[in-house]
Amino acid sequence: MIISDTLRLALGNVRQSKLRTFLTTMGVSIGIASLAGMVSLGVGLQDQFVGRFMQAGVFDAITVSSGNNGGLPALLGGRGRGRGRAGRGGRAGNPPVEGAAPETARPEPPALDEAAMTAIKGLPNVKDVFPNIRVPLQMHLGEFEELGTAMGVPMSAKDEGAFRTMSAGAFFANDTDDSCLLSLDMAKRINETDPKSLVGRTLTLSYTASTATPGAPAPTPMPTMPGMPNLGALLQMKRVDRTYRIAGVVEREPGAGLGGFGFANVMIPLSKAMEIDGQVVRSAQALLTEAPTKTKTYTSVTVKVTKAQFTEDVEDKIKGLGFQAFSINDALQGAKRAFIILDLVLSLIGSIALAVSSLGIMNTMVMSILERTREIGVMKAIGASDSDIRRIFLVEASAIGVLGGVAGIILGWVVGRAINFGANIYIVRQGGEAGNLFSLPWWLIAGALAFSWLVSLVAGSYPANRAAKLNPIQALRHD
Amino acid sequence: MVLVARNLSKHYTMGASVVRALDDVSLTVAEGEFVGLLGTSGSGKSTLLNLIAGLDQATAGELLVFGDDLAKMSSETLSRHRQKNVGIIFQSFNLISTMTAAENVALSMMFAGVPRAERERSASDLLTAVGLGGRQTHRPKELSGGEQQRVAIARALSNTPRLLLADEPTGNLDSRTSKEIMALLKDLNERDGKTVIMVTHDADLAKRYAHRIITMLDGKVLSEVTA
Repeated sequence: MIISDTLRLALGNVRQSKLRTFLTTMGVSIGIASLAGMVSLGVGLQDQFVGRFMQAGVFDAITVSSGNNGGLPALLGGRGRGRGRAGRGGRAGNPPVEGAAPETARPEPPALDEAAMTAIKGLPNVKDVFPNIRVPLQMHLGEFEELGTAMGVPMSAKDEGAFRTMSAGAFFANDTDDSCLLSLDMAKRINETDPKSLVGRTLTLSYTASTATPGAPAPTPMPTMPGMPNLGALLQMKRVDRTYRIAGVVEREPGAGLGGFGFANVMIPLSKAMEIDGQVVRSAQALLTEAPTKTKTYTSVTVKVTKAQFTEDVEDKIKGLGFQAFSINDALQGAKRAFIILDLVLSLIGSIALAVSSLGIMNTMVMSILERTREIGVMKAIGASDSDIRRIFLVEASAIGVLGGVAGIILGWVVGRAINFGANIYIVRQGGEAGNLFSLPWWLIAGALAFSWLVSLVAGSYPANRAAKLNPIQALRHD
Repeated sequence: MVLVARNLSKHYTMGASVVRALDDVSLTVAEGEFVGLLGTSGSGKSTLLNLIAGLDQATAGELLVFGDDLAKMSSETLSRHRQKNVGIIFQSFNLISTMTAAENVALSMMFAGVPRAERERSASDLLTAVGLGGRQTHRPKELSGGEQQRVAIARALSNTPRLLLADEPTGNLDSRTSKEIMALLKDLNERDGKTVIMVTHDADLAKRYAHRIITMLDGKVLSEVTA
């Protein structure tokens, strides 16, 4: 029997009992809609979650720290960037266990200096490399005064999510611009009612510099400096005040605490931050132990890759150079696993309706075969083989399954849109951001169709086999 | 020989007792014969016809149709035997009610894998040949009993089998229509050389049309009479 004839015969049967086919198809479509809807919700939530990180521009970022194993040398030696390290938690100081052994075995880990940055920049798929600079500062604006941290932001960050949609104002004009960006939190602390009005005003940043640095204004002793052991050191310090125009207010904290950004309320151009970093005195201890003119090294640098998918590869290569590397992908593995479990649970719930509807298919097929027992007998008597009969009924079940699948995807989409619409009204009212809670990617559509087909084949196989095995003589006697 | 049966038996078990529907039957049918299988109900004549048709399989003995032993055939080969070697005509016509006359005739060609255009043409020709040229698109309900049986005969002829098996072909028809149907079968036998085996309980009918009458009783051949 030709395949097209099997189809013609089976679809003719489907058309013959329209109401029953319609009802069974509706059952399947509800099953598929609930399954596709649930998976779509899982995917949508994951997209929302991952998308937020994407927007923060941290998926394509790797934080590189010196292969130096943290601990005492980092704490006492180098430039003593205690503040910066504390900001990124224990990560820089406590490398992963597997990385620790070879690192300590190596006698001299490579320094994270300009040469190292050039080497990293030379790696394939690396877009940009810049040092993570954070400087402790005192900030003034009229009555407002606060101790905080300023962060260096490279010009290349301009296109990143956090800076692309700013609450007010604009990004720095250039790398040597005397302007700064405030976090919305900070701006609200300065002006509770209208933080956006701060754009264009002047913020004074003060820090303590060592007198060894040339070109700085007259020294003013810092009265707030704690634990001063040496009067000589104190005499070598002076207070520097700089004024920065507030260029803009950033709504979301860029790359919250990962990938180099974050934990800073004031952002200034990177070169400005590096300049201040070269002068600032963080602690009396640092002042005492510091060798004044040494090759500049960094505690950590941020590496941007051209595409998020290269992150892991570049990370491995950087580790190969003897540095420690960390990216959000590492942290995201756990989250991804959690989402897999969520998806599984959601699809399990969604499957219940589909399981019920598969029983519906089976019931419809059993009924259909019972009704057409005599017809099956006739077909066998005039030459239909067992496999012809089996195929006819499997195609019939498939038709119900696939039709139900198509209807189910449409139904699922409509219901998902409706829920999304309603949910977003609520979310926006609660101060959240509207987004797609349901995502219907092509693979989900294809998967749902394939699955509905598979379910119909499984549900139809028992009735189809029963039809195929009918004894023709008994079937012909059946009314 | 179209058909050779040697010691053919078919036993059923009904509860504890064994029913010998066919008990040690031996017979032969030559090409071009018109054979009447005569007997009362339960005599085994229909059982024999079902065995020849390949709808059922014998319990014991040999049944050669066109030289092939049906007892040794798989269900797949048996379906091909029903498709190509034999054409079956039933008392109750057994047309598919949802299909038109032409579709009913074409159905067995469909199972034989004949392409659509060819089988549609062939079905039309066959319907014309049995005198239903203008009734191609009628459904069984729209046809009289005699017309339905003509459709069934056209269907039985569709894969050009050499052996026609008729099970009480006029059982549901009035006498005038019966005559027409019998004339058609006689014509197929005489003009087209089809071998016909007809089951009937009507002795007169058998006498009038069959070359040879095999009378059966309780699963055994009672007598063989050549006209």
